[in-house]
Amino acid sequence: MTSTPVVGTRRPTRRRAHRTAVAWLFLTPFALVFLLYTAVPTVAALGFSLTDLRGTDLRHPLAVDFTGLDNFVRLLQDESFLRDILNTALFVAVGVPLTMVIGFALAVVLNSGIRRLRGTFRMLFFAPVVTNVVAVALIWQYAFNANGTVNKVLGVVGLAGPNWLDDPNLAMPVVILLGVWRNFGIAMVLFLAGLQAIPDDVYEAASLDGAGRWRQLRHITLPLLLPTTLMVSVLLTVFYLQVFDEPYLLTNGGPLGSTESVALYTYHQFGAGEFGMSSAASFVMLVLVALVSLVQFRLLRSRV
Amino acid sequence: MPNLSRRGALKLTAGLAVLGTLGLTGCGREDDTAVAKASADPIDDSPATGTVNVWAAQGDADVLEQVIKPFKTANPDVTVKLTLIPNADYYTKLQSAIAAGKGPDVAQFFPESQAQFLDASILQPVPDGLVAPDSFFKSLWAAGVADDVAYTVPWYAYTYALVYRSDLAKKAGVEAPATWDEVVPFFKALQGVGARRGLGADNGWDIFNGQDVAMYAWQAGGSLLTADGKWTLDTPAMVDALKYNASFFTSGAADTATPTFLDAQPYFVSGKTATMITGPWVVGQLDTAAKKDGWTASHVATAPLPAGSSGSVSFSAGGSWGVLAGGGNADASWKLVRYVSQPSTQVAQYKAYSSLPAVISAWDDPAIKDQPLLAAFLTQLKNTRTFPQVSTWQQVATRMGKEMEAVAKGTATAEKAAANIQSYAESLGTGAK
Repeated sequence: MTSTPVVGTRRPTRRRAHRTAVAWLFLTPFALVFLLYTAVPTVAALGFSLTDLRGTDLRHPLAVDFTGLDNFVRLLQDESFLRDILNTALFVAVGVPLTMVIGFALAVVLNSGIRRLRGTFRMLFFAPVVTNVVAVALIWQYAFNANGTVNKVLGVVGLAGPNWLDDPNLAMPVVILLGVWRNFGIAMVLFLAGLQAIPDDVYEAASLDGAGRWRQLRHITLPLLLPTTLMVSVLLTVFYLQVFDEPYLLTNGGPLGSTESVALYTYHQFGAGEFGMSSAASFVMLVLVALVSLVQFRLLRSRV
Repeated sequence: MPNLSRRGALKLTAGLAVLGTLGLTGCGREDDTAVAKASADPIDDSPATGTVNVWAAQGDADVLEQVIKPFKTANPDVTVKLTLIPNADYYTKLQSAIAAGKGPDVAQFFPESQAQFLDASILQPVPDGLVAPDSFFKSLWAAGVADDVAYTVPWYAYTYALVYRSDLAKKAGVEAPATWDEVVPFFKALQGVGARRGLGADNGWDIFNGQDVAMYAWQAGGSLLTADGKWTLDTPAMVDALKYNASFFTSGAADTATPTFLDAQPYFVSGKTATMITGPWVVGQLDTAAKKDGWTASHVATAPLPAGSSGSVSFSAGGSWGVLAGGGNADASWKLVRYVSQPSTQVAQYKAYSSLPAVISAWDDPAIKDQPLLAAFLTQLKNTRTFPQVSTWQQVATRMGKEMEAVAKGTATAEKAAANIQSYAESLGTGAK
């Protein structure tokens, strides 16, 4: 009589323990990789950002001086860092909407009209995402050179092309364009998946009620796509906040620092042996990414 | 383990960060001067064994594999693994590898910008008797010495001179400029006879450009660092140097946009540019760019750099080798370095890549002595100075390159740029502890 409750409590406990153990077993590889490549470096970077660790301290990084928030103060006083924050904001402000609009437009077109060639077009538009960025950047560099393809084409119609990558006002648009070109494929594929998840009968019902294509887009497609939109916008924002490849390969941050992003600043500081400053800058970037993502989630989630 | 709440996670992260920081501060800085005095044990003549990992920057080291073939033949039990790294990323990669304890056994350095590595915690002292210090150009050997301990062995030497299209100069009826005042008119004259630009300027706006402006500042009578280690970069000489460099661009003699580094030689050969302020390696490479043997001899001349108010001064630079403190095979590493620094190896390196020897006696080899175009570089090498031997020089020079760009493009005055360079350099200090 007394044994029943004992059996009754032991059985589920063992099962639960077993399930927890299995869960941990599956989680371990991720947890290890996360610890090794994300958590430890993040904490280390925070530690380094509070010191004067420089290239000269390479072999004894544990013997540097604690300088508190000095690096952060220096960062905020560094005109080039403030300029790089603005540059990065410009990447986000122009790059994210442009990438999303192009990706969305292509997804809508692929989802409706040309169903037969959908696979081909999807592959075509997705190609920039999987193409090696170094190769692409080299081609772009030649294309936008003073004597490059773009200017040759402009020459055909009688226009004297500018020196794109050497002009502080023109280099940024070219770099952003490369970013957009590389990323609209991701936005397109995600939007396409979202569009295909919307049941056809919703549209059928709407057209029976006399809703035109535009009204369907406004009142069915866009509201139902909000979760996808949220995801795409957060993904792209995080990407553009950390933008590195495009400015590094195309202009290395020049001319006159007009295309240097925060990530590139971090890299340049590291290259100059300023490990403390570099860590501080990377931490500022981490906080920026976290803040912006949080705000986006809050803003958009309330409407999903 | 309980579920970690967001607040809990924050607390944990903050705690770890504080612990990490306390760990960092608790140790205090080591006394660096105490560790670097000793030098390593002598290296004998027995064959080298084991594996030697070598890192070098692309360029002069491209031919290293071929140059050290005799070393491998003479030391059959040694394996030399050579890794070439693009120039622009070289120090960044090396620094991070050293910091992570994953550096190679032997690494190439640049005497003009290696001061930051000269520390017993990073490099091993050059063993006694490995090489004869006075067999090298004095300034190149000195560039590897810190606190009376030598850490690097010079490999090749170079300085800048004027390389120009002699055929175009003849056509225009002009001779190589001897002073600053004659420079732009000379470029313009070459432009007048068909060259698109008188000067093919390097426009990476980085450390290399910074070194150019430092050289111009010397020519204008300036110095970069006082004897007691204070930066003097906002002097009238520096302003003159920045203006002199900018005059190439504002006069239209040079373009801020092209050629890029790799285009420099094809542009020169095709006549798009008519002059280069560059190192001796181009002399041996122009025939290849022109795809015609003997093209250089009939189209090119060299001259020492035009003199400013303080004469025709240039800088001494090149390559050097160091054995890393954390390297596993010091014996074989030093044997390789010793081999590479021998006069005969340096001549072989010259023949393979036109890198001029850092060993003075190797200059007597007919392969080098009989080259008329190298005469100007020889003359110039006799009038060189060493860049400041301080660990922050590389950063300061890079900043100078950036400020030069602003002046050349007319977005900053030379005075403002010089002031910026000075304040930046002061904020960094010289790295002396």
